[in-house]
Amino acid sequence: MTAAANTNGSKGALKLQQLGRRVGRQQLLESLSLTVQPGEILALLGPSGCGKSTTLRLLAGLDPASSGQILLGDDDITATPPADRGVALVFQSYALYPHLSVERNLSLGPELRGTRPELIKEDINRVLDLLQLQDLRHRKPAGLSGGQRQRVALGRALLRRPRLMLLDEPMSNLDAKLREELRAELQHILRSIGAPVIYVTHDQHEAMGLADRIAVLERGQLQQVGSAEELYRRPANSFVAGFLGNPSINLLSLRPGLLIGLRPEQLRLAPAGAAPASTETSLNAQLTTREWLGDRLLLHLSSANGPLKVMRPSSDTLAAGLQPGAHLEVQWSRGDALCFDARSGERIEPS
Amino acid sequence: MNRLLLILWSLGPMLWQLYTSFRPNATLTGNPMQGGWTLEHYQALLGGNPPFWRYLLNSGVVGLSSTLLTLVVAVPCAYGLSRLGRKTARNVNVLVAIAAAFPYVLLFLALLQLARDLHLGNNLLALSLPYTGLSLPLAILLLQASFRDIPPELEEAARLEGLGLWQRLRWVLLPLMAPAIASASLLIFLFCWNEYPIALTWLSRADLLTLAPAMARIAGSSVFTVPYGGFAAATVLGSIPLIVLVLVFQRQIVSGLTQGAIKG
Repeated sequence: MTAAANTNGSKGALKLQQLGRRVGRQQLLESLSLTVQPGEILALLGPSGCGKSTTLRLLAGLDPASSGQILLGDDDITATPPADRGVALVFQSYALYPHLSVERNLSLGPELRGTRPELIKEDINRVLDLLQLQDLRHRKPAGLSGGQRQRVALGRALLRRPRLMLLDEPMSNLDAKLREELRAELQHILRSIGAPVIYVTHDQHEAMGLADRIAVLERGQLQQVGSAEELYRRPANSFVAGFLGNPSINLLSLRPGLLIGLRPEQLRLAPAGAAPASTETSLNAQLTTREWLGDRLLLHLSSANGPLKVMRPSSDTLAAGLQPGAHLEVQWSRGDALCFDARSGERIEPS
Repeated sequence: MNRLLLILWSLGPMLWQLYTSFRPNATLTGNPMQGGWTLEHYQALLGGNPPFWRYLLNSGVVGLSSTLLTLVVAVPCAYGLSRLGRKTARNVNVLVAIAAAFPYVLLFLALLQLARDLHLGNNLLALSLPYTGLSLPLAILLLQASFRDIPPELEEAARLEGLGLWQRLRWVLLPLMAPAIASASLLIFLFCWNEYPIALTWLSRADLLTLAPAMARIAGSSVFTVPYGGFAAATVLGSIPLIVLVLVFQRQIVSGLTQGAIKG
């Protein structure tokens, strides 16, 4: 944004230090430590109830932290009231003021904060242009589509000139096609803010497509932080391995005390009785059903060690020719298999 | 056709009053087609001392001041209760509901004593004190329900934008509450407009009477003669301000009363 954007001082990194929230006996978030750089987009990913929205509310100041610290730049904002944090939050429901037009939705906050009217007008026009909302400025939220509402909510957050930008599942109310279209546009806009961005989602595709890094949460505990590729290739534990990747990873207990993780796309098929190569392992299985996904085939198999999913290109003639009930060998390179401790779920580097 | 019947059914009693108010008393028991029309009932009311519009004005003053005072107290109270924990709010609401259900006629002797001790008799604005007290429980319950209907994210969004408590109430919450406030106001105003025992005992000067005690004093009413025409004319005059109010705020009132019935 323009020079006026930096009235709140320089934008610094966000640091969470052992941040926790406990309500009664329930530990909603446990000792979360993270750093997000200005201009970086971090996705908080996890199933519902994992603590990602809790984290967002702590960062926004809507709920108090029970332990730990939130640092933004050089300031400790752990106990700062929400209005003074310079934080903007895009709500899942967008939380637009239903009785006000798009333009008034945007201008209400700056007006009441005492921003100069000429400045507000200029800012609003720029945001309306950026988000292609000029034609809708006099409409009320009820007259907008889901995607348009989301843009207004985003615009309201941008006008705040946030030092920290938070988004709570901003795409979850949109249909799948629109979501994909908006992803690149949203990423571009979020980067242009130049502040740390935290993006909460339960959708792994969104997290992978939008974020620089992903933090996976489960039951209030951080499981792993890293790039999408790191999380996919070297998951810290069986939960992360199971949560990322579609279709999800096969977890088989081939040996006592150990879970073997096999990505469906890393498995190959061979006729029953075929011997594996020296670097490969193989498992006898039987086809239950087959899903045709256009360029790929998803095969559901059953084996002595439990059900298995195998993803093959549709050009695989063996896979395409199989009938349900057929016996075959499932093969994989030993190097591709991920090993997890069966009890703790932690990944073990093969020795 | 069905609709017409329904309208006749609802408006029938009112039309009958209207008809009675324009008929000479002597003809009321005879053939409804004979006897002609008269304005004498209205002339008697409006030419009386004090004229009848004075009572309407008094009732309007009491109704308006009571409604305003009730809202000034009930809105913050309902907001506070709606933001309290469910459990605490429920316990408080039980007390409020008991107060709302209390038969207020039982209070009027005590209220009269208070009025005497504090010299509140014959004062229209003082009359809004008991009216406010009696209207508060219902107003608090109604407004609280509608505060709870507003999604909490709306207020949180406003908080994050830097709006203080009063700014949030003024610019975000109250505009959304307009229907609920309109219907609550109407209920309070109606109560004040119709209230009889307290008005009867607190007011004795003829020029300060409100509508209900004034109607009871319409000239000539006794056990032996009932001035039907006069009563009818007073009823018609007394209803006009209410009908105007309802027509003006019709839309807000309907959406306020049906609020929560349909998920938006």
